[in-house]
Amino acid sequence: MKIAVRNVFDKVFTGLTRASIVLLVLVLAVVLGPILYRGSSAVVFRGTVEFRRMQFAVFGHGDEQQIQSEVQQARAVRERVYEIVDEFKKGIDASALTERARKIHRDFGQELRYRQTPHEQYAELRSLSRDIRDRLEAAFEASDKAQVDESIKYVMQYRQDERLRDTIAAEYFQMAGDFQRAAARVDLAKRAEYAEQLKDVEDILFCADDRPGLLGPRPGELQPALVMNQYGATRWDQAKALLDRFLWEEKWVEQEKGKPLVKVKVERAKIFEGTELEPLFAYVRDNVREMLRPRWTFYWRYFFDDSASGHYFGGVGPEIIGTLLLTLLSMLFVIPLGVVSAAYLVECASENMVVRIIRMCINTLAGVPSIVFGLFGMAFFVLFLIPLFDGPSKPCILAGSMTLAVLTLPVMIRSSEEAIRTVPQEYKEGSLALGASRFRTFVAVTLPAALPGILTGVILSLSRVAGETAPILFTAGVALGPVPDSVLDTTRTLSYGSWDIAVGNRISALVPHKQYGMVVTLVLLVLCLNGLAIVLRSRVFRKLKGQ
Amino acid sequence: MDKAKSGRVLQTAADSSQPLLLTPTEDLKGFLGLHLGRLTLLLITCTSVLAVFLIFLFIAIEAFPFLTKVSLIEFLTSTGWYPESYEKPEFGALALIAGSIYVTIGALVFAVPVGILAAVFLSDIVSFGIRDFVKPVIEILAAVPSVAYGFFAVLVLAPWLQNRFGFATGTNALNASLVLSVMALPTIISVAEDSISAVGRELREGSYSLGATRMETVLRVVIPAAHSGIIAAVVLGMMRAIGETMVVWMASGNASQIPHPWWDLSQSVRTMTATIAGDMGETAKGSDHYRALFAVGLLLLVMTFLLNMVSEYLLARAKKRLGKQ
Repeated sequence: MKIAVRNVFDKVFTGLTRASIVLLVLVLAVVLGPILYRGSSAVVFRGTVEFRRMQFAVFGHGDEQQIQSEVQQARAVRERVYEIVDEFKKGIDASALTERARKIHRDFGQELRYRQTPHEQYAELRSLSRDIRDRLEAAFEASDKAQVDESIKYVMQYRQDERLRDTIAAEYFQMAGDFQRAAARVDLAKRAEYAEQLKDVEDILFCADDRPGLLGPRPGELQPALVMNQYGATRWDQAKALLDRFLWEEKWVEQEKGKPLVKVKVERAKIFEGTELEPLFAYVRDNVREMLRPRWTFYWRYFFDDSASGHYFGGVGPEIIGTLLLTLLSMLFVIPLGVVSAAYLVECASENMVVRIIRMCINTLAGVPSIVFGLFGMAFFVLFLIPLFDGPSKPCILAGSMTLAVLTLPVMIRSSEEAIRTVPQEYKEGSLALGASRFRTFVAVTLPAALPGILTGVILSLSRVAGETAPILFTAGVALGPVPDSVLDTTRTLSYGSWDIAVGNRISALVPHKQYGMVVTLVLLVLCLNGLAIVLRSRVFRKLKGQ
Repeated sequence: MDKAKSGRVLQTAADSSQPLLLTPTEDLKGFLGLHLGRLTLLLITCTSVLAVFLIFLFIAIEAFPFLTKVSLIEFLTSTGWYPESYEKPEFGALALIAGSIYVTIGALVFAVPVGILAAVFLSDIVSFGIRDFVKPVIEILAAVPSVAYGFFAVLVLAPWLQNRFGFATGTNALNASLVLSVMALPTIISVAEDSISAVGRELREGSYSLGATRMETVLRVVIPAAHSGIIAAVVLGMMRAIGETMVVWMASGNASQIPHPWWDLSQSVRTMTATIAGDMGETAKGSDHYRALFAVGLLLLVMTFLLNMVSEYLLARAKKRLGKQ
């Protein structure tokens, strides 16, 4: 082959190897980039007044007076929204109006009884009230204006009736008047459609059954049961998404037969064109800042706060505590075992059958899949060992940490072995020559010299343990629960939580910042530990080389 | 060195009125201390052996009643996995085994070429400066928790695959393979690089002096010489992929089926690890389903154990061969 061709091949090959490394770096960037970027928004974001209100009410953070005054200012701007919606509803919401008419009828009956009206008069008035109510209901249901006017006119003829004056029944006429005025402006044929649309608008603005709205439930009304629905959009990005949904309705329409449906956005203001609700959209769009008062927030308490309403609000405090408990406890088991094993393998063992078997077992242990450790932890620690000592036979931190200790034992042994092996022979020989015993040499000379290296191993095992999920699935982890009281409780951990929040419940899909925030906390924890280990190792390396 | 005495403050020889000899008791004490100490250390070291033993024992104990009930052949060859079926539960693990093999092979297809090239780059091509930059990158790739990879697979990669390529679902064998390949890469690179670096300078220099280019040297001399180690690296990467749980559970779609046609990686599969993780929460302790999951675990354990043996054998052979030269 010609040299030129060979050189080209050589260049291509070198280029390929280079490309593989570039690929690695890219992969790292692609994997960590989105996670870090979106995760950071869990801590740094524009919090709205609803966020500060929630923080005070749920966690007790913040200055009450300041928050109150801010809430007042925001409410003042929101007041107009409530007015517009109420005004529009009078003409639209047939079911609410009907409901109110019925209530008046019931209340009127009670009032009559309370006043001890004579029997005949009572029956007469009741039937009159029923008549008015039915007529009103007919008007509310009517779909053309003439019908409405006729019914209202019929109702209004009783307005001057002496018997109804100064009673609850007078409200009928108030209602009828309101309705007539509202109905005059509304296309009655479209009323059902408007009512449906209004429901959407209210869901987005205030709160739906299953998700919070832009402004939160209206003050003075019955608060929803779920904590997450009691507040409006706590974050400006959420608010913007909701505002978009508020201003534009997404529809899936069939444009051609047999083609997949296409998503179209329709301006809601257009849907309500010509009605009293129309100005609402422009008003909300222009004043949403004043209504929510977004402000850049550095939510450092994210790492300490408990979470509220599932994972919807709050932080990852319990997860961090659980992770620390689990990892530190497992270190307690694994460090002595690992260091002693490494010491034996380096200092005492000659290459015989026993040592070969031990080494083989360490390698086997390193290759066992993590889920098998989970099975083992459940079968051995949870179902066998802990009950043997009269402990509860249920997943707990103790079982989890022991499982993790077994899992990380090979890592610990190997890194300690490495560390002990790199201690220069001269150190030991010097100590032995001074007459120290081998034990003393190890404890007083080798171990201190190897300590930074061992520490590196400890940190690496720590990071491995902190990130493991499969072994604690059945031995220690829960998705939501209180901070553990003892090592015999289950616990939340970052790794388990990251899994759960990514695939687990529906609510967490509403809070992507929380999903990413959880995983970013875990990744940062693990990477910081690893970075520490890398730095430590390079320093030890330099020191032992005598530089 | 063996005769070192314990805890005795020594006088200098010149001050001593008597020769530095041990009394018989002191001698015995030293002897006993040494050997008892050694024994204790040995026993502690044997924890690893005990752990491996207990893992096999307890998984086997839990799986055993199942294996007496359902024949091993049926377990390994039928594809129906309906353990909770009321009328006739089926425990065919073939689809699960196939799922594991699919994602593992898929991962290796991506990871092995890149891994070997990267290992060659690190050992033969790059300057130390870049090496110091690349090594931490690989370490970080290895350190990122598997659940974070799974998270990436579900929330970033899956929607992208679905929108970009129009797959029926983004969580499929391809997704799991891609992410697993990233996870297997650090193992493959570091083990392969070790064994490629271990190939002596002499071989390379001999090749270069015959006029070979770098590519020819690497492909015809270095890699053949290091092939045992490289295969071991691939096997270790395979172990990492086959034993991985969270990623495949989150990314593979968890449909117990063998893709049809067989090369279609865009279909969902279900692996052994994901089955254990996913089903265990829903089983009653001691039920057939529960024991079947332990049987799957035992199968997994045996598979990784055998793979581990292979890799050890290969690494030992690589060490021996390269040591001789």
